[in-house]
Amino acid sequence: MWATTVNGQQLHFHLTGINNQNFIMRDEETGSWWQQVTGAAILGPLKGARLQPILQDELTLATWRQEQPDGRVLRPDPRIQQAGLYESADWETRMQSVRVATTDTDKTTKQRTLVAGLDINGAAQAYPMDLLSAQSPINDSVGGTPVLLVVDSDRRSVRAFERTIDGRAVEFFLQADATPLRLTDAATGSVWDFTGHAMSGPLVGRQLKQLPILNDYWFDWHSYHPNTTLYNAGAH
Amino acid sequence: MTTTIQADNRTATFKRNNLRRIAWLALLLLVISALILVLMPAWLIQPFRPQTPSALVRSYALRHWSPIVTLVFAVTAFLLCGWLWRGARWWRKTALVCALALVCGAAWLARQNHFEWMFHPLPNPAYARAREANFVGDSDMVLTVRVNGEAVAYPIRQMAYHHVIADTVGGVPLVATY
Repeated sequence: MWATTVNGQQLHFHLTGINNQNFIMRDEETGSWWQQVTGAAILGPLKGARLQPILQDELTLATWRQEQPDGRVLRPDPRIQQAGLYESADWETRMQSVRVATTDTDKTTKQRTLVAGLDINGAAQAYPMDLLSAQSPINDSVGGTPVLLVVDSDRRSVRAFERTIDGRAVEFFLQADATPLRLTDAATGSVWDFTGHAMSGPLVGRQLKQLPILNDYWFDWHSYHPNTTLYNAGAH
Repeated sequence: MTTTIQADNRTATFKRNNLRRIAWLALLLLVISALILVLMPAWLIQPFRPQTPSALVRSYALRHWSPIVTLVFAVTAFLLCGWLWRGARWWRKTALVCALALVCGAAWLARQNHFEWMFHPLPNPAYARAREANFVGDSDMVLTVRVNGEAVAYPIRQMAYHHVIADTVGGVPLVATY
């Protein structure tokens, strides 16, 4: 999700190509090419410029609707739907067998492993989705920043937060059998929800700072974050 | 006297035939270059092939210059064909028409975005209220954003097709990409 105003000019983007399986967009106004995953202009008059990221989430509809009952949802285009061109519900499973074409040949883990990637001031770490689901919440540290990764009770929606309260790193635990999901912090025992908001206890009303994550395939995350580490349960 | 005139005529015909040969050659080169100009970037940025930075630079340059260059080629091809048309046999005329069609086709292709043929853009996206969004399953993933109190969800299954959706959320112009 990118803000489209660059140097005071509003840009309009089109899909225009592909670079190692991540797409390239072209803006109508200057004709520059932009890499979708990084928001960086890679060629053309605006080369070197960067789009300003806007915090986004990847959630299940159920989780999102509970949080934002007054939100709006993009409708499918009837013509595209009738032509059967939208992806099917099991498309992520099908994508696993699609060949990967990239000049990056990292073999740390399977290329199509789904990861949640964190990039904090250039320190990058990827968390394989299956590890995340199994161990959520994960209290970790990336580039010196204490981080918390949480998978929602829907087992698919993931969020990351900076787990710092008043300058101190705090650990979070999952409340057993709570639906919707509830977390407790080890410092005060306050109760927090999946949005990082303290609902009760001494810290009631406080909000954890959400960190942007990218749900991606390992090969794509690794091509754009070549120095990334891969979260490994055994080492923690 | 007669011999000289005949000789002169022969020289003139020879020169003219030579010029025609050069014109045919030029036309052939125009056709080949025009096709390379438009097909090369499509070849370099194929979805299921890896791309190198230099291939991207070349693709960008070709995509950038091909609209104007192919237009110049098309005009030149028109002039050449017009000149070669008179007195040409039927099969040469067929060749001229084909050459012209190819160059004009290339000029047209240079103005197209074949990625948007494969994945149609959605210039006027429509939205439903969250409660009424029965076209998305509860466990389907949505890409979501919230700006200045306004919340929007873009279903991933639709985004995986369109890839790019322009929107204004909470007064901020943005682009949802997937």
